Amino acid sequence: MNKQRIRLWDLPTRLFHWGLVLAVVAALVSGQVGGKLIELHGKIGLAIVGLIAFRLVWGFAGSTYARFAQFFPTPARIRTYLKGEWRGLGHNPLGGLSVFTLIFLLTVQVASGLFANDDIAFVGPLFELVTKSLSDSLTGLHHLLSNVLIAFVVLHVGAVIFHGRVKKDDLVKPMLTGWKEGVSGEPARGGGVIALAVALMLAGLAVYGASGAWMPEPPPPPAAVETPNW
Amino acid sequence: MKSKLLLALLTVTLAGTAAAQAKVEDAIKFRQSGYVFMAWNMQRIKANVEGTYNKDEVIKAANAIQAIANSGMGALYVPGSDKGKGWEDTRVKPELFTNKEGVGKVAGAFVKEANEMAKVAATGDAAAAKEQFGKLGGTCKGCHDDFKVKK
Repeated sequence: MNKQRIRLWDLPTRLFHWGLVLAVVAALVSGQVGGKLIELHGKIGLAIVGLIAFRLVWGFAGSTYARFAQFFPTPARIRTYLKGEWRGLGHNPLGGLSVFTLIFLLTVQVASGLFANDDIAFVGPLFELVTKSLSDSLTGLHHLLSNVLIAFVVLHVGAVIFHGRVKKDDLVKPMLTGWKEGVSGEPARGGGVIALAVALMLAGLAVYGASGAWMPEPPPPPAAVETPNW
Repeated sequence: MKSKLLLALLTVTLAGTAAAQAKVEDAIKFRQSGYVFMAWNMQRIKANVEGTYNKDEVIKAANAIQAIANSGMGALYVPGSDKGKGWEDTRVKPELFTNKEGVGKVAGAFVKEANEMAKVAATGDAAAAKEQFGKLGGTCKGCHDDFKVKK
């Protein structure tokens, strides 16, 4: 007897999820440790820009359960869920709220990081576009939000464990394999190769924009021979 | 007579306060200047370890940082300078004035790595300089994390 199962998370959504897990952990560690890791921290930040941009596009172009409209946490949906009457698939309304919150927090976090400075020798790739004072404020926000993000990650992992242990609903396995066991419903559709190509292209553009590579080169420093010997 | 004495006393007190304020303002200016000057030299080392390595540039920059690190800047954290304006508002945390042991630890680490930076720079070994630059930057962060106000 075959257990019923459906295709829930498409491969790009899963790669995004686990890529983001790695990137956020690496960013938190490298940011806290600092020193020479701060350069790596900046590069990880750019990777997160790409991941977030990809997910934003995938929320419209991806397959069924990756779409924002499918799990948008309207008050009515949240009420239904809290009454225990929600019978959907994919992100439940609170999970959806968590997805949008995390995407919002990470967007603010990477955006502020792009303009940040550490008052040592590191600046974000777009630092030149703002005043030092604004950069200092954004740096403060960046530090503050890193703590909020840590709390949020703990909450997220806690919720997943709660669903696994208490509600006997393994959320991790489907995020690894893409298959949800023991349920019936519409399998995920859409999110084909063209959608993927568009999402990847837009993500690449976002990384390019964030990297500041488009900014004009700073004027070269005067040649060494002109340096006075005092 | 009595009121004249009082006036004189008041004048002296006010003048004394003003002088103390001026000293505090100077102390904050001196230390801010030290950090800004070190920032210039940190940027120079960074440019060299990331781009074309110019041994002399790195030596000059590392020596400047070493000199400031060994100048005893702790003396500039005079009583009353936990608040105030030098070139700009000071961003020192009150903890710097109370947690002497903690400050001593991070400051000591910084001085040690600054001395090491100068030593490494003298050898002209670009890879070692890059490594040491990372360590030195880490000790700056050590103090910023605990004793510098985030905006």
